[in-house]
Amino acid sequence: MAAGTLYTYQENWRAFKAQIAAQYSGARLKLASSPPAFTFGQTNRTPAFLSNFPLGKVPAYQGDDGFCLFESNAIAHYLSNDALRGATPQAAAQVLQWVSFADSEIIPSASTWVFPTLGIIQFNKQGTEQAKEGVKRALAVLNHHLTTRTFLVGERVSLADITVACSMLWLYKQVLEPSFRQPYPNVTRWFVTCVNQPQFKAVLGEVKLCEKMAQYDAKKFAEMQPKKETPAKKEKGGKEAAKPQEKKEKKKEEKKSAPQEEEMDDCEAVLAAEPKAKDPFADLPKSTFVMDEFKRKYSNEDTLKVALPFFWEHFDREGFSIWYCEYKYPQELTYTFMSCNLISGMYQRLDKLRKNAFASVLLFGSDNQSSISGIWVFRGQNLAFPLCPDWQIDYESYDWRKLDPNSEECKTMVKEYFAWEGDFKHVGKAFNQGKVFK
Amino acid sequence: MALRELSSLEKFLGSNKPNKYRTQGDKKVPVLQNNKGRPVVGLVTIACHLAKEAKRPELVGDSAESRAVVQQWLEHRITKVDGCKKEDIKTILKDLDHYLQDKVYLAGNQFTLADIFMYYGIHPLIVDLVIQEKEQCVNVTRWFNHIQHYPGVRHHLPHIAILRNSIYSSRQH
Ligand SMILES: N[C@@H](CCC(=O)N[C@@H](CS)C(=O)NCC(=O)O)C(=O)O
Repeated sequence: MAAGTLYTYQENWRAFKAQIAAQYSGARLKLASSPPAFTFGQTNRTPAFLSNFPLGKVPAYQGDDGFCLFESNAIAHYLSNDALRGATPQAAAQVLQWVSFADSEIIPSASTWVFPTLGIIQFNKQGTEQAKEGVKRALAVLNHHLTTRTFLVGERVSLADITVACSMLWLYKQVLEPSFRQPYPNVTRWFVTCVNQPQFKAVLGEVKLCEKMAQYDAKKFAEMQPKKETPAKKEKGGKEAAKPQEKKEKKKEEKKSAPQEEEMDDCEAVLAAEPKAKDPFADLPKSTFVMDEFKRKYSNEDTLKVALPFFWEHFDREGFSIWYCEYKYPQELTYTFMSCNLISGMYQRLDKLRKNAFASVLLFGSDNQSSISGIWVFRGQNLAFPLCPDWQIDYESYDWRKLDPNSEECKTMVKEYFAWEGDFKHVGKAFNQGKVFK
Repeated sequence: MALRELSSLEKFLGSNKPNKYRTQGDKKVPVLQNNKGRPVVGLVTIACHLAKEAKRPELVGDSAESRAVVQQWLEHRITKVDGCKKEDIKTILKDLDHYLQDKVYLAGNQFTLADIFMYYGIHPLIVDLVIQEKEQCVNVTRWFNHIQHYPGVRHHLPHIAILRNSIYSSRQH
């Protein structure tokens, strides 16, 4: 029996397929869907993740035995039992038929129709109308098939039901209002039965069918756009999109609004929709030390002659703290370029800390005999990492020691690490290269 | 008939030592001779008793509502389906067909005793239907086919072939 971990963000209908299959088969499935085990947009971009799952997409499955799989349908198949997969060659082929049907006949139309109502993508009247027709065609096929059948293949629940039902979840929750689904009673009967089986319920919870068709929400869309879009563009998109709904004239040029490239895909939207964490430093009193100002000095002027004197002159001992960090596993460091990637990877993941931290982390020694250590300056008196789950990935790989800003040791270390030169007495290896977090 | 159904139910529930039954009165009401307590009388009462004994309470309904619906169908089976007259068959099937239009199981979304005993009770009516008649109650035949394939249910009854694709009118209404 398969046992392993499923990486996904929360409430991912693609992951549901695998989770429900596991409920039926008894496969032991751990879920890694929230920090620290999994942070969507971060964990799935780490080199370790990418080496197992080259697309960096979720859901992704890793067995306790090391066996790795991506693509939700393959994962669900793997976690199934023979009854779910179809016990005869015919049944198995029919299961595959409906799994493919879900991917090619339902998902494209369903996404085009539903996502604008969630504010995930731009509304486009023509696209939505076409999508509705697509959904109707799929519903008609299913309805006819289910006239004489209880489940899609054979007389019991199979992967076909799991897959097709999961791909219709959003439709039934968001837009298939009673009058729209009225011509397809067999599909609704089947869907309601599926999602109310204990094995589905354990994963999906209570599924409430849509009462009123959700419409495009221009405001929500504008709110959910990532910052990279300029406000002007945002407004334009919102207004143009809202218009076709208000008045039904056929203004041809409006239909061409919202070019595809500007739209987020559903994954980006998930990221954007994540509740904005409140600023973890918000509670600290204002400080006189302006981090940005120091960073400008450090980047543009001589470190020893200008930046360091500026630092000590303005450093606010109450509002900030200085830390020494050392990589815990130097024996695992091999090629220096890989060790460097370790540092830059960490900086990347800590991106949101930039306003409140500065660091210079250095690599010493050479291939297969190196070490990593550095100096961090943080807002506040504590390590900033525990403040935010996103920041915790790397920090456990380092030993951290708070330095007394008045001590000679601290003065020397700050000088050597900021300037990338000096004796580095405590290291015992020659400076190789450095990276600055600024 | 009732005794064979109870024996099938026992097999379905996986009990290894069959119970002792006798019948009572002209209508041959089944009685479970319980060596511990009082005798249990009547098909419905015995069936519920067996399900509980077998620790399968979901078979009598997993909520107050579905328990009531299960009882209602079991009652319907005993009072309306059993011994129904030939001219009533059409109405019985039509009503059931209508009821099953939006349902897979008779009570709630789960298989219960209602499905088992309605299946046993309806079986003789379905045997006599010609294809065209079956097509006229497509929901009943769909349900019937599902229940007859439900693992462990069919025991004492012959399988009835159900066509998936309509030969006559593709839709009744
Ligand atoms: N066909 C794939 C699609 C998976 C997929 O698109 N995953 C998205 C989330 S919806 C993802 O992980 N994207 C991350 C990225 O592209 O960086 C499946 O069914 O598993």
